Amino acid sequence: MNWVTIIWSMTAAASLTLAGIHGFVWLRRRQQMASLMFCIMAAATAGMAGCELWTMQQTDMAAYTHALQWYNLMRWMVTLALVGFIHFYLGSGRPWLEWTVCGLRTLSLLVNFIFSPMVYYTSIEELVRIKFLGTEVTVVEGIPSPLSIIGQISLLVLAAYLVDATWRSTKVQHRPGGIRVGLSAVFFVLALSLQMMFALWGFIDMPIVASLFFTGILIVMGIELSEDMLRSARLAEDLKVREQELLSERKLTDAIFESAPGMLYLQSADGSMVRWNSQHERVTGYSNDETSRMKIEDFCAEVERNTLTEARSMALAQGGHEVEFDLTRRDGRMARHFFRMVPVEVAGAPHLVGIGIDVTSQRALAAETERQREQMAHIARVASVSELSSSLAHEINQPLAIILSNAQAAQRLMAREHPDLNELREILEDIVNADIRAADVIKRLRSILRQGKPALETVSPHALFDQALSMAQPDLKSGSVQVSRRHSKKLPLIQADRIPVEQVLLNLIKNACEAMEDNGSREKTLSLTCINEGGWLRFSVRDNGHGLGEDGDKIFEAFHTTKPKGLGLGLTICQTIIRAHGGNLWSEKNKSHGATFHFQLPIVPENL
Amino acid sequence: MKHSETVFLVDDEPALLKALGRLLKAEGFAVQAFDSAMKFLSAPHNNGAGCVLLDQSMPEMSGMELQQRLVQEDSALAVIFITGNGDIPMSVRAIKAGAVDFLTKPVKDKDLLAVIQTALEKSRTMLAERAEINQWKQRHAELSAREKEVLFHVVKGLPNKQIAANLGVVEQTIKVHRGRVMAKMGVESLAQLVLVAERLQLK
Repeated sequence: MNWVTIIWSMTAAASLTLAGIHGFVWLRRRQQMASLMFCIMAAATAGMAGCELWTMQQTDMAAYTHALQWYNLMRWMVTLALVGFIHFYLGSGRPWLEWTVCGLRTLSLLVNFIFSPMVYYTSIEELVRIKFLGTEVTVVEGIPSPLSIIGQISLLVLAAYLVDATWRSTKVQHRPGGIRVGLSAVFFVLALSLQMMFALWGFIDMPIVASLFFTGILIVMGIELSEDMLRSARLAEDLKVREQELLSERKLTDAIFESAPGMLYLQSADGSMVRWNSQHERVTGYSNDETSRMKIEDFCAEVERNTLTEARSMALAQGGHEVEFDLTRRDGRMARHFFRMVPVEVAGAPHLVGIGIDVTSQRALAAETERQREQMAHIARVASVSELSSSLAHEINQPLAIILSNAQAAQRLMAREHPDLNELREILEDIVNADIRAADVIKRLRSILRQGKPALETVSPHALFDQALSMAQPDLKSGSVQVSRRHSKKLPLIQADRIPVEQVLLNLIKNACEAMEDNGSREKTLSLTCINEGGWLRFSVRDNGHGLGEDGDKIFEAFHTTKPKGLGLGLTICQTIIRAHGGNLWSEKNKSHGATFHFQLPIVPENL
Repeated sequence: MKHSETVFLVDDEPALLKALGRLLKAEGFAVQAFDSAMKFLSAPHNNGAGCVLLDQSMPEMSGMELQQRLVQEDSALAVIFITGNGDIPMSVRAIKAGAVDFLTKPVKDKDLLAVIQTALEKSRTMLAERAEINQWKQRHAELSAREKEVLFHVVKGLPNKQIAANLGVVEQTIKVHRGRVMAKMGVESLAQLVLVAERLQLK
């Protein structure tokens, strides 16, 4: 054994090993064309090393030429595989350069086979045995052929192709491995072409050692490919960990979904149900299978569907929204539910995740509280009226007592034979004074009830309607009353004492709601209008309830009431308030159903 | 018809004072009117039977307070309340404190006169009782110290023998004193003496 045999055999063995490994990789993953190219190149390099060793041992001219031809075939394969590898691995080579390299190399091979003995030399003069690495090896001496330039050019174009591909790959992607492969290939190719030229032109006496250079390229490429494989193995590992994390995350969200006190659900932007918890099934009574074919609107009472759809688009647009509606169960029963929804992106599409809580008991409690509050207010009203009547009694009884006693004294005086006329005159005077006093007392009490003159301010009629409607909201809602406001946007400002006038509007709206309580199947409609009458704005509240009845003209009298719980003061006070503004309050029977109440308020002078 | 008793009117309302005064004068009553409780108290008012027609609500001193003062003075005047807006608790308090009635304005003449009659009768009774007690008091004051001692023991129900032992004299002496006490007090039986002693609160 000598060094030459050892080095070339080992080179061939190493190349074959690499070819085997990457061939196997390619067999497992066919789409990895870089591995296939690497495999071919490594196998061909092993072939090259074998051919080189073969030529070095030949002493016969014919056998040498034969070996050299095989060698060239191998080199052709190596070159093409290298171009292919760079093409697939870096993915950045210019196609025309690739074709040029492959074309030149193929041309060189063809020339080699056509012109015997071979492309490098016009004639081989002799085979010379030289000492190389302590062994005698065969080299050839001859006149270099001009056609050999094709091989040289193909090497240089290959180098240029590699430089270009490496440069372009750094620009497109930052792959340090790619640069290392490219640069080392360039280095070895250039080194090889130098060595070839020197050997060919006879500057140095050396056998062909190209396989060593290609093995260098192979090693660098092999290292990079291995690192790529390691990286992908690491990625696979990471992926596994992520999957585990995702799985536990999913379990956590499942648990959260189940632990929620109410319904939790995920819906797509159009309202289709995507995911929901078991509470949902329990509350709605719809099976999971049925739910999967439903939209959230299907769970909502029909009259409130528009509200829900609106809330859904609001939630999507504003990053969350709340809505309350009567949830309709499978068996038709309803339950008031409060829903909160928040937008979330799932699989690239906008979705809403939300929670629904049964608020029936809270609402019932609130209604009860409201009812109790109203009762309290009623009691307070009764109490204040009784207080009023007691002070009224005292103030009125005093003059009445004076009048009565005087009158009865006068009767006695008159019964005498000679009545004292002076005394009688005085008595009558006192009676008149006491009477005037009684009238004064009543006047004063009325002024107290009216709470003095209204404190006028400039008010927008819209604001009055808004405030009164918002205060009447509980009544409108509980009675499911449809409200229509029919008045132009451009109404002049008015002069009014805001709070009492709002009270009047509220009172009229509440009366209307009460009048419509027994409407039955007739839809309850309340219409509010406001008309500019020039100098005055006329406000009208119209309902389609039971109307005014026969004693319609008595409704403005104090203590006249048609309501079982009413005091009969509401409209009296309303009229007092409006009259204090200089306006009037009156009622009108509607042609079909219900009644309309009108009142006027003065327009601010500069708005006339 | 003339009445000897005076009807006092106390009310912060002059017009009402005048009206009631006219009515009562026409009925023949002697009427004295005051527009405040203080003015009434500072005027002579305890000379015989009479009644006070009193307004419940007045500034400074209320009718109820004036009633208390009359009780303290041991007055023989009967009290009638007259008010603009009386309530039940107020009337109960007034009646408990000795008022004859509690009237609400306006009062009809018949009702008023009837109540005044009742009040005057009550006043007369009170006055007569008072006179009787004053008589007993005077007679008691005329007893000697020893006689008062003996009277005290007698009305306690002690027998003569024990009274003698208590006072350190013979039984015969007690008998003599006892006879004199009966004579001086003007009673004819032991029972009558005990009754008088009770009225004079001697126990």
